[in-house]
Amino acid sequence: MEQFLQAGIIGVSLGAQYALLALGFTLIFGILGVVNFSHGGFYMLGGYVAFACVEHLGLPYPLAVLAAILVTAALGWVFELLLIERLVDDHLATLMLTLGLYLVMSTVMLQVFGPLAMDFRFPVTGALRAGPIYAPLENLIVLAICLMAILGLWLVLFRTDLGRGLRALADDRQVAMAQGLRPRILFPAAFALATGLAGLTGALVTPILSLSPGVADPVLATSFLTVILGGLGSLGGAALAAFIVGIVEAYTSVYFGGSIGALVLFVLVLLLLVFRPQGLLGREARGA
Amino acid sequence: MKIRTTMLVAGLATGVGITAAQAQSCELKIGAMGPMSGGAAQWGLAMYSATELAAAEVNAQGGLKMGAKTCKVVVVPYDSKYTADAAAAGSNALAAQDIKLIVGPVGSPEATGIKPVAARNEQLAWNASYAKNALETKYPLMFHIAPGPSAWADAVIKKAKTVFPMKSVVLIAPNDQGGTDIASVDAEAYKANGVTATEEYYQRGTTNFAPIVTRVLALKPDVVDTASSPPGDAGVIVKQLRLAGFTGAIGRLGGPGTDEIVRVSGGLDVLQNFYWFETVATADPKVQEIDALYKKLLGKDPVGGTAMWADLPAARMTLKAVSMAGTDDAKAVAVALRAMPVEDPNMGKGYWTGKKAFGIAQELHFPFGIGIIKDGKNLGVERQEAHRD
Amino acid sequence: MTPLIPRARFLLGGAEIAAILVFAAAFAVPTMTRSVLVYSVMNQALVGVVAAQSVWIMLRMNLLSFASPAFMAIGGYTVAIAGQHDITDAFVLTAAAFLLPALVAVPLGALVLRLKGTYFVLVTFVLSQIMQLLLFETPGLTGGSNGISGIPPVTFLGTELATNKQVVLFACGIALLATIITACLTRYFRQHFAAIEENEILAESLGLVVWRYKALGFVVAAGIAGLAGYSLVTMLLTAHPSSFESGTAVDFIAYTIVGGRASILGPVVGTASLVYATNLFGTHGQYAQGLYGALILVVVLALRGGVVGTVASLVRRIR
Repeated sequence: MEQFLQAGIIGVSLGAQYALLALGFTLIFGILGVVNFSHGGFYMLGGYVAFACVEHLGLPYPLAVLAAILVTAALGWVFELLLIERLVDDHLATLMLTLGLYLVMSTVMLQVFGPLAMDFRFPVTGALRAGPIYAPLENLIVLAICLMAILGLWLVLFRTDLGRGLRALADDRQVAMAQGLRPRILFPAAFALATGLAGLTGALVTPILSLSPGVADPVLATSFLTVILGGLGSLGGAALAAFIVGIVEAYTSVYFGGSIGALVLFVLVLLLLVFRPQGLLGREARGA
Repeated sequence: MKIRTTMLVAGLATGVGITAAQAQSCELKIGAMGPMSGGAAQWGLAMYSATELAAAEVNAQGGLKMGAKTCKVVVVPYDSKYTADAAAAGSNALAAQDIKLIVGPVGSPEATGIKPVAARNEQLAWNASYAKNALETKYPLMFHIAPGPSAWADAVIKKAKTVFPMKSVVLIAPNDQGGTDIASVDAEAYKANGVTATEEYYQRGTTNFAPIVTRVLALKPDVVDTASSPPGDAGVIVKQLRLAGFTGAIGRLGGPGTDEIVRVSGGLDVLQNFYWFETVATADPKVQEIDALYKKLLGKDPVGGTAMWADLPAARMTLKAVSMAGTDDAKAVAVALRAMPVEDPNMGKGYWTGKKAFGIAQELHFPFGIGIIKDGKNLGVERQEAHRD
Repeated sequence: MTPLIPRARFLLGGAEIAAILVFAAAFAVPTMTRSVLVYSVMNQALVGVVAAQSVWIMLRMNLLSFASPAFMAIGGYTVAIAGQHDITDAFVLTAAAFLLPALVAVPLGALVLRLKGTYFVLVTFVLSQIMQLLLFETPGLTGGSNGISGIPPVTFLGTELATNKQVVLFACGIALLATIITACLTRYFRQHFAAIEENEILAESLGLVVWRYKALGFVVAAGIAGLAGYSLVTMLLTAHPSSFESGTAVDFIAYTIVGGRASILGPVVGTASLVYATNLFGTHGQYAQGLYGALILVVVLALRGGVVGTVASLVRRIR
């Protein structure tokens, strides 16, 4: 019984982390049609920037997280403006661009920070306990921030002009442009928003888990999985799917063990797609 | 029109066939292979650092005597990316530069990949993997840098039991060859010492071990052993074990990386009770001189920590064998190596082992260490002498 | 009902013939040199180009597939397991390496081909991950995480292909076979695939039974990938899970995109140049990945349509 509850708690905190990642990934796809292979790279960059701020600049952790968001968002903005913008209609080319960026980013970070894991700690330690059941405080904080981020994103997208513009572009680019919306300003903004989210997640989660050059790849795989499940382009779907993936992963790992757990998760996602090809909340998929 | 394209392609294909002739002024090139990117990069870079040091030492004395010539030793690194095909490609790439001696590779998949190809290329190689088939009688040019758990698990467990009484252990390792080959041997050693052992494998790439920790703790073990989990993973496992309320001892019958584990897990006060196998007797002052020696000869800091120390004797002995054989032909060097006593200026004396585990005695067994951290205090690494098979 | 799309007039076009000639010519290279580096790079390129062709077939229909490592694994392990039972005949194994993945692709295709665009991409990625896990979980059959090592060499008409040179020649043969199959398929159904690539719904409304061609493409692509797996396993004499990681799909896709997706020569050129580049960088260890990424960026930005596409348009401008 305790195991069951514990798995649930773990699942929810995993879900929160995956939600932050998936939201950024699906945002870029929904609005720009770009499959961002560098998503994991921005997560890693966020972690390293925050670490560098704490370790070398002596900044307090919350400021370091902010710095991480700013740096990753800025890099995303520049990358979209200078590189992706030229080829934004060719989905395969943009996929390759993001892949190339990822390879370059990870090599640079390996050179700068080295291959070993960094000593990067979350400032709050300890857990809430009730008998054998525990909920680490760090996970609760991340959960809270995640919910705030989802809310914030929703507000931006549904309550601001910028957001309205982004959604219009996602719905039908031709018409939106005819109405006067300028993708040259909005696309970099969307990309920056997404990479900033990835950077935020990295800055928050890497001190809880670990920060090393190897952390980027699993992030990408998880983002893919979550976004397929939720439906590409659907923010609600991404958030919902993230929590489902987190919870399923927790329960299958606890009850079936590490590798079978992963297999079960993949097969479940695959089966769901048989019956519902557009994912949980997705619309009819746009060609890529 | 399409013919021109064909010419372009033909030109490219020819370009592949052209290899630049290099002017050779008595250089002896040896290869250093291992993963130099990705999660295991520190171990490949450690292999490289060790080989660089061995080469620098010899060059500082004027070069390596090979028969009538004295040659400068040059180290050529190759990133084998922890995969079988990259290691095989590496063997070929190094063979193309006439490199017949390779220090490395590191991981089990790499060792598996390089064996047949290096044999085809008539190259000698030193793998550092703990695979169950790290050495095979059909590959006489393959040597082994240090023994796997079959040589030392027993000693470590016996020592650990005196400090941390235990009746049951759960081993956690990744589910690929680098994990399963070692954890299964560890489990046998525990069982032979009267400790019930269960193995739990996780998908390599897992970053959050909280579910595994929950599963493991449901078995209520006295001790949790991280086996050959990469140090980054092991650090997170320790952190999450302690957060979950596990107060028992944590062990590591695997490879190097304790410093990183201490760092990632949050420090000695989190780690509390820990025992581990050190490939090298790290408390020995003569061993610790290696880093200073590297800095002196190469002017930079070495990479790889204790792994670099463990790889060093293989590199040194290989160069010495070249001198003794008077050539870098792999078969001749192998003959010279087998005849050499196992001795190293920093590591001390050891033995050729491997006959019992693999059927071929081409493995270096130097004094190693058993480390203990008790109640948050690092009690240091106890030296264990090497022993015959 | 009259066919709305006319059959192609000639079976093979200029590009296809050129590609076949390239591989026929490749047989000559190992006889001209004894350099181990040439053999190694050529062998890697020959394996890579077959896998890239598997990706290319699907790209003809604007579908990007990440499933090539999964089908390569089926082909490769089939050969390895056969080798353990002393079946080494080249013809038998080639047929098996093509047919088994193709058969598996039939039900998988039924599952996966209803998805369009990016969903397809991501699901094929998941398929590769599943294959890796299946390999680990079936140690009795596949050797689990250790793989199957020490496979006996291929026998071709009675001779064992054991030396480096013979293995390269064998790889040439597989590449030639794969190219012929790919060329025939994509040329014969050129207009069907093009119609699907252009606008699937429109094609369907014009009477094209889209799912048949997608299925055909998927199944043949799987078979071709199986051949690539066979070639890889023969080169390494080992079937190991690390050779079939989902990340390798990225390499094959890169070869095709960088080379140019419009022509069958694209995968050939892309594979040759990128494999060569990787081998150059290989000895610089830690910089390899970063330089590879930079190369992709440069090529994608500066050379639209890939290398072949750019060369073709330059040539057109000169004429």
